[in-house]
Amino acid sequence: MMTCKEVLESLSGYLDEDLKQEVAVEMKKHIGLCTDCRAEFDTLTLTIKLYRHFETPSMPADCHDRLVKVLELEKLKRTPGKE
Amino acid sequence: MTQAETDEQLVRKSQQDDERAFGELVSRYESKVYSLALKMLRNPEDAEDVLQDTFLRAYRGIKSFKGNSTFSTWIYRITANSALMRLRKRQLPTVSIDDADEREAPINIADWAPGPVEQMLNQETQAAMTEAIDALPPEFRQVFVLRDIEELSNAEVAEILDLSVAAVKSRLHRARLKVRNRLATYFTEPPTRRAMGAQ
Repeated sequence: MMTCKEVLESLSGYLDEDLKQEVAVEMKKHIGLCTDCRAEFDTLTLTIKLYRHFETPSMPADCHDRLVKVLELEKLKRTPGKE
Repeated sequence: MTQAETDEQLVRKSQQDDERAFGELVSRYESKVYSLALKMLRNPEDAEDVLQDTFLRAYRGIKSFKGNSTFSTWIYRITANSALMRLRKRQLPTVSIDDADEREAPINIADWAPGPVEQMLNQETQAAMTEAIDALPPEFRQVFVLRDIEELSNAEVAEILDLSVAAVKSRLHRARLKVRNRLATYFTEPPTRRAMGAQ
């Protein structure tokens, strides 16, 4: 039987389904029986789910325009006779 | 209908001074670069600085790009490094990556999961999630954003950040615990205090 410390250390790997089959089976058994480790598992799972829905504003259109200008200036610097 | 050119084709043409091809690469990746920078830096002006810095470096360095990785990995790597430099310059009072504040006692899930994820994602929760990312040390923040928000694989993150997969997994686990503990503090506050704090 895995200890709580071992379970906690492998929790991310378990959530990512990145553990060996026999370790994952042991983890599942432990989490099913241990209230503290189940709470760790549930809260970590929810944290990851929340961030999968985390959104940031999209890039403003004028940002593209300024980027194009910056690159055009760089291109001019590169053109022979314009330095 | 003509088939869209691949990134590899556009890179090859850009290396032969085809400005249109480089412009196409910019169009393909500018939103992704901006979005990654914004998630890491939380500030639109800084994100735009990183966007410009990234494509300037790519423009100057495209001829030396050997194609050992994909163009997307390469451009993400430049973005992540540029953002990391800015994070370090800020010198925010973040904790050291060696501090082990992730070993706090677990919290009852019932206290902070009143319903489906979609219902929990109000403005106030988003603000708490942002604060939790802000509190991460830069090296943890990079891994967390790329892995859990951008949803790249451990191998992709390792390649972008030039780390071993084991190092990515280790940083990711500790970053997740730190973020979770921050959110736990938020979710287990009495609702009235939470609402007042949000005003």
